[in-house]
Amino acid sequence: MSSVFRILLRRLGISVIVLIGVSMLIFAIARVIPGDPARIALGPNATAEQVAAIRTEMHLDEPIVAQYGHFVTDVLRGDLGTSLYTNRPVTQDIVEFLPATLELVIFAGLLMVALGLPLGILAARHRARWPDHVVRVLTLLTVSAPSFVWAVILMLVFAFYLPLFPVAGRIDDSYEIARVTGFLTVDTLIAGRFDAFLDVLHHLVLPAVALALSGIGQAARLTRANMVETYDKPYIEMAQAYGFAPGRIARRYAFKPSLIPSLTIIGLDFAAMLGNAFLVEAVFAWPGLSRYGVAVILRKDLNAIMGTVLVIALTFLIINIIVDLLIAFLNPRIRHSTRAAT
Amino acid sequence: MTRTTLLAATLTAATALTPVFAQSVLRLDEVAVGELDPAKASDYADSILMFNVYDTLVLPKQGEPGHEGHLAESWEVDGATYTFTLRDGIAFQSGNPLTAQDVVYSLERMQAVGQGLSHLFGGVAAEAVDEKTVRFTLEEPYAPFVASLVRLPIVDKALVEQNATEQDPWGEAFLSGNAAGTGAYRVTAHNPQAETRMARNEDYFGEIKDAAPDEAVLRYSLEAATVRTLLAQGEHDISSQWLPPEVMRALANDGAQLFTESGTGAFYIKLNTAKPPLDHVNCRQALAHAFDYGTALQMVAITEDVSSGSAPTGAIPVGMFGANPAEEALARDMDKAREYLADCPTPPEDWDLEISWIAEVPLEERFALLMQANFAELGISSKIETLPWALFTERVASPENTPHISQIFVNAVTGDPDTLLYGMYHSSTPGTWQSPEYLDDAEVDAALEAGRRGPGEQEREEAYSALNDRLMELAPTIYGYDRQSVFAASDRVSAPALSDPSQAFGVDGMGFSFRLMEMTD
Repeated sequence: MSSVFRILLRRLGISVIVLIGVSMLIFAIARVIPGDPARIALGPNATAEQVAAIRTEMHLDEPIVAQYGHFVTDVLRGDLGTSLYTNRPVTQDIVEFLPATLELVIFAGLLMVALGLPLGILAARHRARWPDHVVRVLTLLTVSAPSFVWAVILMLVFAFYLPLFPVAGRIDDSYEIARVTGFLTVDTLIAGRFDAFLDVLHHLVLPAVALALSGIGQAARLTRANMVETYDKPYIEMAQAYGFAPGRIARRYAFKPSLIPSLTIIGLDFAAMLGNAFLVEAVFAWPGLSRYGVAVILRKDLNAIMGTVLVIALTFLIINIIVDLLIAFLNPRIRHSTRAAT
Repeated sequence: MTRTTLLAATLTAATALTPVFAQSVLRLDEVAVGELDPAKASDYADSILMFNVYDTLVLPKQGEPGHEGHLAESWEVDGATYTFTLRDGIAFQSGNPLTAQDVVYSLERMQAVGQGLSHLFGGVAAEAVDEKTVRFTLEEPYAPFVASLVRLPIVDKALVEQNATEQDPWGEAFLSGNAAGTGAYRVTAHNPQAETRMARNEDYFGEIKDAAPDEAVLRYSLEAATVRTLLAQGEHDISSQWLPPEVMRALANDGAQLFTESGTGAFYIKLNTAKPPLDHVNCRQALAHAFDYGTALQMVAITEDVSSGSAPTGAIPVGMFGANPAEEALARDMDKAREYLADCPTPPEDWDLEISWIAEVPLEERFALLMQANFAELGISSKIETLPWALFTERVASPENTPHISQIFVNAVTGDPDTLLYGMYHSSTPGTWQSPEYLDDAEVDAALEAGRRGPGEQEREEAYSALNDRLMELAPTIYGYDRQSVFAASDRVSAPALSDPSQAFGVDGMGFSFRLMEMTD
């Protein structure tokens, strides 16, 4: 059995335990949020009998342990219940809203990696010179304001004053694209509509940049700090003494060991964007799962809260597993220590 | 050239020569979610959907009191029995003909589902006398019954039953995502959190303006900055009414026109009459006279001519049965406030008022601060408490937990004062979001019951007038302002029902009947 496979198995086992823990925790927390979900769902004019009927239907009149039992039984059957917010099955809502958020987060994540790491390398290579100063100031700016502030600023500058980008939605109303995966970048290509694909990318730019800016700054600053530390190591001095080209030293000897801590943080940032995307989704009228999650929490829609949190937790765990595997792949010490432990 | 090639070439040429007609699209926004099932409709977005996708037996007359037939050609009233004759030749969007059975089914479905505004139809039975005649029998006389029918959309029984299941006998799942009405617009796509798209129903039985939008897109929960940018880019046509006054003002300065819908509700500052010191009328009167009505109106003004509120004259908004004339606007009177306070059994230094505001309505925080300042002038100390809506509805269930002061917007959902006032002030309905006053007064109850009983308009006017006077004596509420909904709109849309008082319906959301709007390009 390869060491990477052993790491995968161990992480999967831990993930199952974490998911069960999250489900119990959220189940309990959702029930102590103020407000009666049945009353909120039925509206202020519903009679006491109507409210009682819904409470019975949702098992809210039973002890919390029994309620959790019903929940687990239903989940194992693939039934997350009906959302009191949208009056549709929660699974249908998740299937509809999740791809929009994932598409946004994936693009923001790509931007984070594609811009954050090179900026960090650039700053580290030119330490204490003007490229370093520029990168540090810019990245400080991006990490110091939350995504929704950037969302509003980007919208005002690039959609209101300079109407270069669309303001809302995922695609122009004039396109009719059959839903296959829910990822419009993929569905437009499946439909053979390259013009629509470009329009989707056009719609993605502002929300993805707004969501990624903070992560770009963080990735750049972290990469720079790690690389600066690595540059002080004796083997770098030796490489310089051998007369290796600065670019080669940066890429092969300084960047690779510096990447491991950056990768961990990028992975965490990437996963956190799933939850943090809700304000960006609200500003750009992006029909995603984060926005849905906040709406259902405010309405105390118990089934939808559970469904959304579990999906986000699951995605978080999957991303963490991928990051762990990547780190194990990059860092031989982890691989070897796993083998030695077994 | 083969015959096939020739045919293809001809077809291509014909296609190229076919004129392309631009589709006019109306884009507007409201707060999510858009509830498509008409039996569950209660919010503003739901009403917009309902009034465009479904029809009702009657419609309010535009610009004047009373109702006129819509799906119904005529009706007769005999005590508590109402007999309606349906128009001939009306078909649902599915093609099924409209019959009296559909009306009966719509009522029974609404009662069985028990959500939205189904409380309006408790104690009502319906039977189909024949294909075109339907009879409603009420358990007891209810004068505003015809008015309440504007909230009974008629659904296509055959289509719903076709899509119902044993677990879902009333087709709730089907109607949450699909339409089954006769309305002027068909639903072409529906996502309750993102948007609903509708297209003109060319087979509609009633009037649709030639320039009415071919398509309408109702978007949900757009941010203020997004709406402003979309309007500036020409990608949006009508905003929701929930934008902050500053944003409305900015849009008006940018050239947007302002639409209004008024006369169905008010902003009420509710005093808990079951909690000392507000259990004494003089203490409540002191607050009611100390409140600065003029500043309150300035706070909701948008431009010099348009405001989200007009001067209050009492418990009933101007224009409804029993309302005081507009000239008798309430005004601050600190001398009277001090007089009442002197006769209040609790001295001001012993007061510790809880002034609450609903967390989802930021405007109410400003009113809370205004009240705190106003009452401080009487030497009364108070603390401001933020309550999310869900917590508020739970707190008001008992008088001890209900704050001294709560702020609520209440509308008459049918345009009739009964649906505005009964739920707020009748002693049988305490402890709801509408009635945190916990008022229990025999005279008020009698007037509300008389207003409900009728039978004629004269009797109702007298009953509500007496009610208004009594409520002003008891001061269970500070009447903040008569509410007016304001919407910012681009100049490419004209909506007479939202801009010309003689065309207004007086029912929330009905001004957004797309068939009566006109697009200019």
